[in-house]
Amino acid sequence: MRITVATAVHWTRGFLQGWRVALRISGANFRARAAYRGDFVTALAMGLAWQASVLVFVTVLLTRFPGLGGWTSGGVLLIVAIRLLAHGANVMVFHPLYLVPKLMQQGALDGYLIRPMPVYRQILLYTFPLSGVGDALSAVLLFAFALTRVHLHWTPLMALYLIAAVIGGMFLEGAVQTAVSIIAFWRTMPLAVFMWFDRMIATFGNYPFSIFPLAARVVLTGVLPIAFIAYLPAAVLTGRAASTGVPVWLAYASPAVGPLLYILARYAWYRALTRYESVGG
Amino acid sequence: MTAHFSPRLVLPPWRAMRITVIAELTQPSRYVPQLTMLVTQLALTWWLWRALYAKVTESAGLNVSQATSYALLGVLFLQFKSVDRSSNGDAMDQLMLDGTIAYWFTRPLPARRWYLIRMCGDLGYGGAWALLGYVVCRAIGAIAGPPTWAAGGAALATLALGLVITYYLQAIVDLMCFWSTINDSAVMAVQLASSLLSGAFAPLWFFPGWFQRADGFLPFESTLNTPLSLYVGRLPVSALGTQLAIQAAWCAALAVFTWWLWRRACARVTILGG
Repeated sequence: MRITVATAVHWTRGFLQGWRVALRISGANFRARAAYRGDFVTALAMGLAWQASVLVFVTVLLTRFPGLGGWTSGGVLLIVAIRLLAHGANVMVFHPLYLVPKLMQQGALDGYLIRPMPVYRQILLYTFPLSGVGDALSAVLLFAFALTRVHLHWTPLMALYLIAAVIGGMFLEGAVQTAVSIIAFWRTMPLAVFMWFDRMIATFGNYPFSIFPLAARVVLTGVLPIAFIAYLPAAVLTGRAASTGVPVWLAYASPAVGPLLYILARYAWYRALTRYESVGG
Repeated sequence: MTAHFSPRLVLPPWRAMRITVIAELTQPSRYVPQLTMLVTQLALTWWLWRALYAKVTESAGLNVSQATSYALLGVLFLQFKSVDRSSNGDAMDQLMLDGTIAYWFTRPLPARRWYLIRMCGDLGYGGAWALLGYVVCRAIGAIAGPPTWAAGGAALATLALGLVITYYLQAIVDLMCFWSTINDSAVMAVQLASSLLSGAFAPLWFFPGWFQRADGFLPFESTLNTPLSLYVGRLPVSALGTQLAIQAAWCAALAVFTWWLWRRACARVTILGG
């Protein structure tokens, strides 16, 4: 296809229009959540407190023990901080994917198919992820705390790498959620399946992989690539990339893994959508 | 609405406990994730605590065997609350939103009895998972046995009362739906509080003294920390009487509070949709 100035302008207008609509829907979703005032305040507080509990857990342990798996307490905190930053960003964008099984069960997806907006985007705009605000806030607080403990000589390049790592982690979690939601196209899927992947990431993503046996390290790097969310970026930032057991170039390239997997997951998702059958037959 | 007492109606309602088991075991997509999650959580917990104790022999009065056993038992305890009702559309907030909560008040038994029966089914099903995990962990030596038979018995007795407290705390959260309709955040709040303040995240012995003292004024510690501390020998069996008294006091207070909540809730049932 030949790209002309007219098509480029048309595409840009469509892109901006899409964003305008998305922002307006998000605003409406926010107001809808705010209508339940008690739930609104509690959701914000709980998002904050839930992630703060991770901080409490880690700091309690790291004040009682000298380190973990050869990492100092500051290094472990940096891993936790990067994972939580990525998770907070992920919740803000991708959290409604958890509702895919429910939308399938209710047959609500049928309506999405006839609206003039991509189905995937409509799902992401289903609700305002209020808990994500609390998650993101607590992640920022934890990161600020980690910075006081890790003693790194930050350079602009390192700061850029950190931002890339957080965005990469956000997309990696999003890729996993997108891929998992495909199962709902084929069969009734409980929330527990989503929660399992979420907890796997939350459970294994916070610690240096050196505490795990080799088999677990291989699975968590090559099969369910949790290592790329926080462990490998933290290893690069703290100068430990050579001791991670993966090629150094791969450790440095870890922020790119998330976006690549996300593109694949999105492609697979739309392929699966073509096989969607309404619950109504 | 009051149920008419009849012996014919006493036992059959308790068969409703089977609903949880039937719902959970009919779909592999329900029990397979639970099994894999339990295995991975147990494995991680074991690796984590072994790594933490790599250069330390004792911390907060616990050696590596005690700390690992405590932490693994904490993971197993969480199985009691592992049933996911929302996937069946059977969670309290869903019943409120769908209006099907109305059926609770048309059955020939009180709503609070029906709730108790269903919760017993949930706790029983989760308890079966916990027991299975315990047997396997004991068989492979991941969890050490209690130091004495008396300690084991004391742990079991306090566990039973701890589960009663867990039941009442869950009931309070669910009953909030009669006022707030949506209780997602309240559920999260109780999950957070019960996990952090009970010692499920990390044994409470590792927390600062002020935290432990403050936690002593709340019911959560009695649900998990007390039985597990008795089990691993961190609390002496001689403390059993005091601990049972504290738990009994919490049970009584929570029972009165939930009884009052049920009365208020039944008087203001709102059926959405007319």
